[in-house]
Amino acid sequence: MSPPTPTPTGSAPLSPLIHLIDDDAAVRDSLALLIGTVGLRVQTWSDPQAFIDRFDRQGIGAIVLDVRMPGISGLTVLDTLVAQGVDQPVIMLTGHGTVEMCRRAFKAGAAEFLEKPVNDEQLLEALQNAVRQHVRSRERHQADRQARDRYAQLSEREREVLGLIVAGLTNKEIGRALDLSPRTVETHRANLFAKLGAESLAQLIRHYAALVEAP
Amino acid sequence: MVRQWQVFRWWILAWVVITLAGAVVLARLELAQQKDRFETNARIMHRLLSQRVVQHDAILATLALLQPTAEGPAEAAPEQRLPALYPQILAVQRRERDGVWPSPALAASEAESRQLKRATLAALDFRGGRYQLVLAAQPASFALTIDLRAMVPWSEWPLAPASSPVRAALEQAGQQFVLQPGRPAGAGWPFEFRKHLAADSQPFDVVVTQTIGWDELPWGRVALWTLAVAAVLAWLRHGLRQRAARARAEELLRLGQVARLNTLGELAAGMAHELNQPLTAVMANTQAARRLLDEDPPELDTARGAMAQAVEQARRASDVVGRLRRAVERPDLAGQTQPVDLPDVVRRALYLLEPECQRRSVAPVLEVVEPVTVLAEPVAMDQIVHNLLMNALQALEQVPVTQRRLTLTVDRHGALGRLRVADTGPGIAPEVLPRIFEPFFSTRTGGLGLGLSLCETLATHMGGALSATRNEAHGALFTLTLPRQPPTP
Repeated sequence: MSPPTPTPTGSAPLSPLIHLIDDDAAVRDSLALLIGTVGLRVQTWSDPQAFIDRFDRQGIGAIVLDVRMPGISGLTVLDTLVAQGVDQPVIMLTGHGTVEMCRRAFKAGAAEFLEKPVNDEQLLEALQNAVRQHVRSRERHQADRQARDRYAQLSEREREVLGLIVAGLTNKEIGRALDLSPRTVETHRANLFAKLGAESLAQLIRHYAALVEAP
Repeated sequence: MVRQWQVFRWWILAWVVITLAGAVVLARLELAQQKDRFETNARIMHRLLSQRVVQHDAILATLALLQPTAEGPAEAAPEQRLPALYPQILAVQRRERDGVWPSPALAASEAESRQLKRATLAALDFRGGRYQLVLAAQPASFALTIDLRAMVPWSEWPLAPASSPVRAALEQAGQQFVLQPGRPAGAGWPFEFRKHLAADSQPFDVVVTQTIGWDELPWGRVALWTLAVAAVLAWLRHGLRQRAARARAEELLRLGQVARLNTLGELAAGMAHELNQPLTAVMANTQAARRLLDEDPPELDTARGAMAQAVEQARRASDVVGRLRRAVERPDLAGQTQPVDLPDVVRRALYLLEPECQRRSVAPVLEVVEPVTVLAEPVAMDQIVHNLLMNALQALEQVPVTQRRLTLTVDRHGALGRLRVADTGPGIAPEVLPRIFEPFFSTRTGGLGLGLSLCETLATHMGGALSATRNEAHGALFTLTLPRQPPTP
């Protein structure tokens, strides 16, 4: 394994980090240099196993993986990463890509499959797409978690009311269904809007409909 | 070797079994035929002898009925003329009403005859070859003395009594008269025929026997059969072995092609990886350098380093190519040439490609104008001829069956031996002709474009040449020339 390399162009510490795994030092260095020219930080790895053991799974970024490496195939590494729930997008690089290999890579969850020698435009665009995708996915993930946390604070009755609101019932209908006075329903409704931090009915339904359906 | 012997043992066993079965059938047929002949002859003998004894009854009956009277001396009696007419009748005796028989046996027989109302046997002397027959009548009774040997109608006898292997005898009351001795019986298959003669008065048994010995079996035909079975089995075995050998040769050829393709595939994959790594580095470095130079201000030092790296990697790629060339460089073919019979090489290739020809309905014609022995490396020769033939066959696929002709001509051309392969396929387009021997140049989709290139290289390395032209009418003509073996001083 190699230690994190300082990026040639020196970026902010929170900028995305690209992990580059290739057994060939010349390829590793040149690709790192190329990726660095667009301001992305690069960490290079010569040993796939060391990468799997040590890389930072929390950071934002993407993974560039060579298919053909001694000892362990890039496709096997990809399978391992997916099995471990790694969410960084993976871009595969190969010297001679067959259709079969390409199909396998995409099926295993690769974000992109590029042939060596790789065109700079293609690689950099793929990397920027991958990073954007990763950021979005992390944001969505975070929002989901927040929604789940807030939902957990609701009382049993409030959850029942929320379920009927999402189902499209009016306060009157909800009162009848739950054997409550419309006034009480109104109170529950105000409470759950406050607890969930929802500003409108539309927002409430967009963020919490999925949670109601999945108990 | 052990396996071969085991297989061979089965062939021997099959030979023995078939031979034995055939021999038994032949022997049985022969025996049935012999028996048939034997019984026919025995029946003829029985009939002939029966006719004679019936005749004796008739003579006596006639005498008893006519009662010829003796006028004058007894010798002049009419019945005394009978022995002259019938050679088997030795004597005729007559007893007048009041007369007396010379022997008491005759008298006893006459009494019996009178009681039975038919002729009866008197003195039976088979050892002496005679017997007497008596018929009681009124007024005179008669007796015939009959010679057994003379009784046999030899002129009509079916067998030669002296030489025939069949024994024939008359038997009566423990006495036996041998008509023909036959051959002494040994081991073998005995036939027997025994039947009474067809006259109550002379109820002799005709006993005919014959023994077919082992030596009489049809050994000649058995030997012929044995040889024929051996020949057919040998022929069959040869045919099967030849077929197996051909199947094996075809399999080897196919395997060879597959192996070659596999090797080539491995080589290509290895080469691609080995070259791709430095090329990737070269490309990434130069692209990075361009980006660095485009920046404002340009990062000259980093760009310079990237370019140096690119040069370094380009050199590495060049080294890979050099190493590859050295790895696949062919050993010196010129030093391994030996006299090779050119028509032989062509025939061998045609033999191996026979199924390919048949599949395409192509009947190749080989014209050997004169015997040609060239100096070449045998394996390379096989490869060249095989490739040229395959090439022609593939070209012929593109024209209708009726137009497919493949002509191979072997002759001398000065100090060179020459093989010309002419097909009537679509031929070679003029723009293709100059590039036809270039490696990786192919007009066939999926073709590697290495076949003809390899042939040309091999031919050149052996001091020969391979050229391609358009055939006179249409199609392609490939001409392979190789130095001929100099005549031995």
